[in-house]
This record gives sequence, C-alpha cells and structure tokens, in this order.
Amino acid sequence: MKERVELVASGFGGQGVVRLGQILGQAAVKQGLHVTMLKSHGTEMRGGYVRSQVVMSPKLIDSPICESPDYFIALSLAAYKRFRDTVPPSGVILYDPAFVDALDAGLACRQLAVPAKQLSVERFNRPILANTIILGALSRHLALLDKELLLESLLAIIPKFQAENRQAFQAGYDCVH
Amino acid sequence: MDRLSSELAATYLRPRKTPSTACSGCGLGANHKIILQAVSELGLQVSDVVWGTSIGCAGRQTFATWKGDGFAGTHGRVYAIARGLRLALPAEIKLILTVGDGDAFGIGLNHLLHAARCNADMTVIVNDNLGYQSTGGQFGWTTPAGSRTDSSPYGMFEPGFMGGGLDIMNILKGAGATFLARHIARDGQAAVENMKRAILNRGFSLVHMPYPCPTNFGSTNLGTRTPVTIYRWIVERSAPLGQETADTLWATGVYLDASNSRPEFSEQVREKGQQIRRTQAA
Amino acid sequence: MKRFLETGNFAVTEGAILAGCRFFAGYPITPATEIAESMSRRLPQVGGIYVQAEDECAAMHLCIGGALGGYKAMTATSGPGYILYADPYGWAIGCETPLVILNSGRVGPVSGITGAPGQGEFYLTRYPTQGGNFETICLAPNSAQEAMAMTVEAFYLSERFRTPVTVLADQLITDGFEDISVPGNEGEMKEMGFRIWPRQIHPGPLFYPATDEIDIPPVQLGHNTGALCSDWTPTEEGYDTEEVENHHRHAFRLIYKIRNHRDLISHRCQKSFLDDDPELIVVSFGTPSRVVNTAVAKARGRGQRIGSLRLINLWPFPDELFTRKAIYLVVELNWDGQLVREVQRAAPKDSAVHFLGTCGDLPTQADLEESFNKLLANQPLTRKGWTLEAW
Repeated sequence: MKERVELVASGFGGQGVVRLGQILGQAAVKQGLHVTMLKSHGTEMRGGYVRSQVVMSPKLIDSPICESPDYFIALSLAAYKRFRDTVPPSGVILYDPAFVDALDAGLACRQLAVPAKQLSVERFNRPILANTIILGALSRHLALLDKELLLESLLAIIPKFQAENRQAFQAGYDCVH
Repeated sequence: MDRLSSELAATYLRPRKTPSTACSGCGLGANHKIILQAVSELGLQVSDVVWGTSIGCAGRQTFATWKGDGFAGTHGRVYAIARGLRLALPAEIKLILTVGDGDAFGIGLNHLLHAARCNADMTVIVNDNLGYQSTGGQFGWTTPAGSRTDSSPYGMFEPGFMGGGLDIMNILKGAGATFLARHIARDGQAAVENMKRAILNRGFSLVHMPYPCPTNFGSTNLGTRTPVTIYRWIVERSAPLGQETADTLWATGVYLDASNSRPEFSEQVREKGQQIRRTQAA
Repeated sequence: MKRFLETGNFAVTEGAILAGCRFFAGYPITPATEIAESMSRRLPQVGGIYVQAEDECAAMHLCIGGALGGYKAMTATSGPGYILYADPYGWAIGCETPLVILNSGRVGPVSGITGAPGQGEFYLTRYPTQGGNFETICLAPNSAQEAMAMTVEAFYLSERFRTPVTVLADQLITDGFEDISVPGNEGEMKEMGFRIWPRQIHPGPLFYPATDEIDIPPVQLGHNTGALCSDWTPTEEGYDTEEVENHHRHAFRLIYKIRNHRDLISHRCQKSFLDDDPELIVVSFGTPSRVVNTAVAKARGRGQRIGSLRLINLWPFPDELFTRKAIYLVVELNWDGQLVREVQRAAPKDSAVHFLGTCGDLPTQADLEESFNKLLANQPLTRKGWTLEAW
C-alpha cells in the first residue's frame, strides 16, 4: 500500500467540497487509517475557491499539506487552474466538465471527466447529487479505500435521500474507467 | 461623622482593618456602616456573605474589612468576577460588592450592565465620591457639572451620567436591574431599610451612595476640607424622589423595585442545565 | 477508545471535559469559536456551565469567578482576544488561580487575517500581562490529538502550580480535521499519558506562604475560610500591602514555584534524528513542525545530516535542550522572528542561528529544502526578497 495518499478537492462554496473531504476522511478512519483534512474557505465569500486537503496514511501523518496530490477533484475552472500544476504525473484529476470546460492538454497526469452535474440533473432532476456521483467515480480509482466503507460513510454523513444517494454513487462508479 | 458601633465592627469586621485606612473625614465609613447595619438587621452571619471590592478609594478601603471571604477585582472587572462566582456559589450565599463611581460607571460599566442584563444575584453599592479621588482628584462620570478638579481646571464641561437630564439609574434600569436605590448616609434608617431590600432581592441590585471626599473633591472644588461643610453641600443638593427642585443633583429613595420579577441568572443556568441533562445523554 | 474524524476544537473540548473542566466562558472569535460552540453543547450534558461573555476580558474574569467558586474553568480565543486577557491573566497569576486558556493563533497584528494560521504570540504567552515578577507555563501542541492531550495536561499543571496555563495552538490545529482517539475510561486515559489533578480546597485563612512549593490548594471563596484574594500585592494573609518586603516574598513565590519545578513541565518535546550527529538542527513548534518533520526525514533520505527539535513546552523555555553545537534553523509562522531570539540565547555561544519565517501559509517542502541546502553550504538565507538574517 502507498504510504501516504494526498487528495485535494476544490470548487465554489456550497458545492460540498468540505463535506466530500469529511466523507473520505471518515471512511479512512473506519478503515483504521490516520487522516488529516484541512479546509480553506476564507475566500469563498468573495467568489474564490473552497479547498479540502485530505491526507490518508497507515502511519502518523506529519505534514497535512497536499503539495503533490495523488487525486485532485476539480469542481470549478478557477480551482482547476490554481491546483492542476501540483498534480504529479502519477496523479489523477477528476473534473466536472460542467465547470471545467478548458482542459490543459499539456499535463502529464491522467484527467478524467466526471459529468456529475449533468448526470445528477438527468437521473434525479436536480444537481444536488453531483457530489455523490463524484465520490462514486473517485471510489473506482481510490484503491486505498474500500468502496462499501466509503458509501457507508457517505450515508452516515448525509442521512437524507439514502436510496438516491446509493444510486448516484453507483452511477458515478460506472461512469469512469 | 458617624462611626461604626463597636458591636457591628466586632461582629463583621477584621480587627486588622479597623479603624479604616481612609483619609481623615472621608465619608466612606458612614456608607459602610449603613451596609453593615442592614446586614445585621437581616440577621446575616459572616459565613452568609462573600464580599467583593473594586479598585479606587471605595474598593481599596473596604477590601478585607469583612471578616469572611473577600475578593477584589482590578479596574472595573469585579462585576465579571462576581458574575462567574455567582454561578459557582450556592444560591444562599449573598454577594455584596462595595465599589466606586469610576469603577462602576466608567471602566466597568459594560460588565456592570451585563450583570444587570442577566439579573445575576448581587448587591452592588456604588460609593460615589464624585470622581477619581485616589489618583489625586480627577473628574469622573458623576462629577457635578462645572466642578473644578485636577483634570477639569476650568470646570467640568463635558456631560457626565448625572445631571443635564441624565441619570445613571435610567441606564441600569434599561439594562435589566431589578432593584435600584440612591441614598446618602444622612438618610439613616431609611437608607438601611432600602439597603436591606437591595440585599434581599434575588437578582441584580444597585444602591448609589454619594459621599464627601475632603482630601480632593472638597478641597479643590469646594475650597474646604471640613467634612461637615462638604456634607452639607451634598445634603443641600439631595432630595427625596418626587421632591426634587431645580438644584437637586441626587434624588434619593427607591428608584426601582422589581425584586424577584425576573429569573435570576445562576438559577436559570442551573435549571436549564438540569433540564438538558434530563433530556440529553452526555 | 473511540475514534472520530473531528476538528482540533472538538479535541480540545473533549480533553477539557476529561480533565474535569465544568466551566467555560468565551467570546466568539475565529478560529476558536467552535470551542465555545461545542462547550455550549457539551458542558450542560455533563453538569457544567457555559457562559458567553460581553468581551474576552469579561470571559476570563468570569472564569476566575468560576474557579474561585471551585470549578475547573477554561476559556478559548485567538490573538485579538488573547490580548484582552491581559487584565484577568495578571489577576489569575497574582492570585494563583488555576485556569486554562487556549489561543488559536491567526495572522496578525490586530484582526489581521482570520482564516489562516500564525504564531505571533510566542512572547505574549511569556508576558501575557503587565508588571513582570512572574513565570508562565505554555504548551504548544502540533495536532488535534495532541491539542486534546495538552489541554488535559494544562489543567493538571494549572492545578498543581496554581496558575493559568496557555495552550498555544494555531488555526490549522483547531480548524483542521484529523483522526482523533478519545479515551472512554480512566485506564485508557492513563494509557494515553493523561494526568489529572483534582481541585482541592484551600484551608484558609492564610493566602500563601513565602515558599516555592507547589500542590498548595488554590484559594476558594464561599467556604467561610476567611480567604482573601485581590489584585493588590498580598501579605501572606492576603491583605493588601504597600510593603516592598511583602512584594519580594510574593514575587519569589510566583517565579520560583514554577522555575524550581521545571522537571514537571520541561521534558515535553519531540526530537527527530537529534542523536544522529546533526550538522543542522531545525527548531519549531506547532503546525510548522509537521512540515519540518517531513522535510527533515526527506533530507535524511538524501544523506543530509539534519535533525528536528520540536518544542511542546514553550515556557519556561527549555534551555537545556540546546546543548549541541550545530547550525540552528528556526522555522516560525511569523515574519519578525520570535522563537529564534530565545534559541539564540539558549544555544551554545558560537552557534549560527538562522530564521525562516512565513505567516498565513506553512513553508513548503521546497522552501525548507532550499534553506537546508543553503545553510549546509554556508550561504545566507533569502526569501521573497527579504534578508531573513536581519531578524
């Protein structure tokens, strides 16, 4: 197992970026891992970005800063532009094309489109489940975390709309390869 | 000047602090006597009261006079300490605070108002020597308009909280105090009676007691250090509520008696806490 | 033992409750507000009292009142509130009242930046009030888990030493989420090294004798012991005095009860690669130490002889940890250099002591690596155009 996994999620305020980090972190805790999660949202009021930085490791974590994220979930173009260059060639960027519509083709890392907002609107008639779809997509790539534990932690943190959340999670899982 | 009866002193005061260290002719002792007389007539024991004091003449001179437990706060803060202490002490222990005008109505006013707001059970006696006398005699927030002091050599011209249509009692009433009175020691038994009502109120009580300072206010503003003359000057400017004249600076008597009309702070906190514990698992 | 993904604020609250804290007074301020919020929820559940104060000065005075009435009491704030504690902090030092204060550092001076970490109050925790003639105790955790442990420890030390103790954290520690283990019983608390000291009642009527002894119960009111406590210089009976001789005895007690029992405090620190003949020792505390530890481990991997000394006990300053002659690099979350001055004083005379400051953001691995390389090559440190040697 890779000793230290770094994940950055960033987007606008209100997209549930902090919640997303919490769900991931909670699942990692259940799996017996050490976790740190920093949330920066000092600038959200001014239309800036919100960011969660999650570090997961079987060992005690020194730096809680994600300087070189293994996973980067980009939910706004501003966030994508700001953090894309920190992702190493071995890393993965998952982005929602509804927000990130101009890709930097020069990056060495993998960039996977997760049309979460569009899928959420198509399947559930509202965009609110986009976050869950992203999580489902992520779980396909995040070998460190058990898929079922991640879903369990999602349902524990978001107790509303359980059936839809399960469906959305699976839809996310199925939409990337 | 009235002196403490030896019986009151023997019952309630520490021998080490009697006689007091106040200036000769200071009117604080007469105020102190009114309070102790009220305490005595209520039948309170030394163990029934925790005594707090402020900074300045009134605080320093009354600190550690009470035979029982005593504490002093630094400038203006004793009301906040007392509010915390009120939450920790058994309800039957009385909190009596002897403080000064600068402490209560200047630097400590915000804390005082918040103690009144939440109706914390304490009796605050503001012994008002009409300015900052322990620092040498500067004007304060109850100094009569026009007074010459060391910091108002041309006469005090900015408004205070007393006079010109203002009265500090209005602010305290608005803040939620449940018992307010003003007396000068010369009011004698009437002052003692109202002091008793203040102490009996299970809530925030304040008694405002102007008194003469011969050393600074008297000598600088009135040109005399003679206690009787200064006292007469105060008496002439005092009148019972409802009998004020154009010259009245201090209307005396009970300004507000809403005793036990509002929930008391510590009681409310305790009751709510018990209720929460009954309904919520820790 | 329960494990949670929770914030440092949560950890501090739970630690305080485990330590027996049943009184909290606070005033809302980012990034410590969540401690007040969680105290307002948790304390009533365990028979405690939460009060919201009109300002920070009142908050700590309310805590003093609670402590004088027998409660283990606590308040929490950030820099702009910590400065308003100056009045009550002095009172509690002088009257020897046990209290715990948490300061979550943000970017200053004044209101500065609310949502970013800073370490601008290193010296303020040594001189939190005026007048001098005292020693202080300050503990600086670098994680949420340790913030819980240091809160428990702060209560322990405050009781034994009869003095306020500051836990100096920062915005990343209090706001950040981490996996946190909360002990569920006394056995688990012991296992985690938590020490508890019960509140005892001062027998009165004497205040305190002129002694450096600890473990004398603190003054309490309401027990009719004739206890006295005030802001004035006290005689040994607690009376106010203007006698310089009395003051000398009082000051002696305030200073030496702490200085003469440093063995209870000073051992707390974290050493990495220090016994491995380091050429360069990086000194830090709080969150920056975590990026420093990562960078030092990487540097060792590259074969550089670097060690890390992370201070947990800040005051009394642990001079005894600075015996080794080496190049010292002090990493702090401020630009003016505070800890570095103490390191300069404590380090062997001819040691080179350098400073790497930043504020709001932690130093990056690249920053640290560059600094290490430069110092090992005897080159001066510069960053963002500032000559950092000018501290």
